[in-house]
Amino acid sequence: MRSLDESREILYVIRTLDVLMGSGVGLEAAIHSISQGGYGIISKDFAVLMENINKGKPMERELRALLKKAENDGYKRVINTMLNNVTQNTDIIETLRKQGERMEETRTEAVKEYIEELGGVPETLLSIGMIGPIILSILGIAPQLMEGAEELFGTMNQGTIMTIVNAGLFFTLAGMAMIGLKAHTKDPGL
Amino acid sequence: MIFGILEMFRNEPLLLFIITLGVACAIGGIPPIIERQRRRSIENDLPALLEALSDSLGAGLGLQQAMMAEADRNNGKLGKLLKETLAESHASTFDAALSNFATKSRSSQVQRVMHLISTAIEQDAPLRNILADMSRDYERLNDLMNRRESDLMGRSILIIMFVSVGLPFLIAFIVGLFAPRSQGFQLEDFNSSFTMFFGAASLVAIGVSGRMLGRMRSALWWAPLWMAVSMTIYHVGVQVIGG
Repeated sequence: MRSLDESREILYVIRTLDVLMGSGVGLEAAIHSISQGGYGIISKDFAVLMENINKGKPMERELRALLKKAENDGYKRVINTMLNNVTQNTDIIETLRKQGERMEETRTEAVKEYIEELGGVPETLLSIGMIGPIILSILGIAPQLMEGAEELFGTMNQGTIMTIVNAGLFFTLAGMAMIGLKAHTKDPGL
Repeated sequence: MIFGILEMFRNEPLLLFIITLGVACAIGGIPPIIERQRRRSIENDLPALLEALSDSLGAGLGLQQAMMAEADRNNGKLGKLLKETLAESHASTFDAALSNFATKSRSSQVQRVMHLISTAIEQDAPLRNILADMSRDYERLNDLMNRRESDLMGRSILIIMFVSVGLPFLIAFIVGLFAPRSQGFQLEDFNSSFTMFFGAASLVAIGVSGRMLGRMRSALWWAPLWMAVSMTIYHVGVQVIGG
């Protein structure tokens, strides 16, 4: 969940950092501006980071702590770039621009992949959602349909059959939910 | 005939409750759809507005002048909203007008853009380039969002129609045909299990299709109605086909 939130916001954070730092604002002031809100989970992270810096903790240590907390690759890369800027005085603006471009390409690819991957979901969902209940419905009415044919098929207890049907319906539902979960876990975060 | 239909639901208080809840929630589900259409219309107009602002700044106009000119030119919802905001801004600062515009749009895209413009003005950053970059960014983002919507909408409807309508009808047909109540088949427990299953399956279908389109919360408003539809189709189907 955190990774999805991070991936949703990171591109806008990069653009804002680019604008701010490109016009001469320092890294700390840029982080402070983002920490004021508008960028979801990243604003919250930066707010905590600023709070700790204001308490006297070194920025380098705080960025390293944030690097450990971050889940999304793009977010990790941005924090790493900030860390390099603090420790080695690297050209952060140029790096952020490149990262932004790369991230945008990645996002476009992720959306295309998401659409392609979800192409099979309706078919799979319908296969399980239809075949399961059809078989279970025939099984459920079988004891009454086969009445009088005990010698051929053996005795079938309606209660036992209903327990099997109920369990089968529950598993069918769980299967459908598991397939549907793909729509959530693979979300590109637009 | 009406009494005949009502008689079918005599022993189904849960189904009657879900039907009532479904109608009530469907009414609650309409405002998010209208709001979404309004928001997407504004967001789809945003890249063109940013591009036009960037061009106007390049031609030597100030941002406020460029916004006023664009508000006159743009006939869409974004232009109308911009015109209203600028008209109200005579008594306040331009920065306050931008914030007001962002709030009124109720769109995170517009809010981000306005925040960035305010920051760029504060920092004296090259606004023309920033607007052009943002125009390109948001055009790509909106293209992706529109593509996701158009590509997945058909699949999402397919899931709902099959799970909530096709499946209960098919099972009701099988049960009604092979184990008709008129011939003495005792299937109360069986029918109750399947009715509950179709309700739950419809909930899953609505959740999945809503998530596919990236708007599960607003889709869930329609879940009780579709649950009621699928449970009713099965319940009535078995009784009508089975006699």
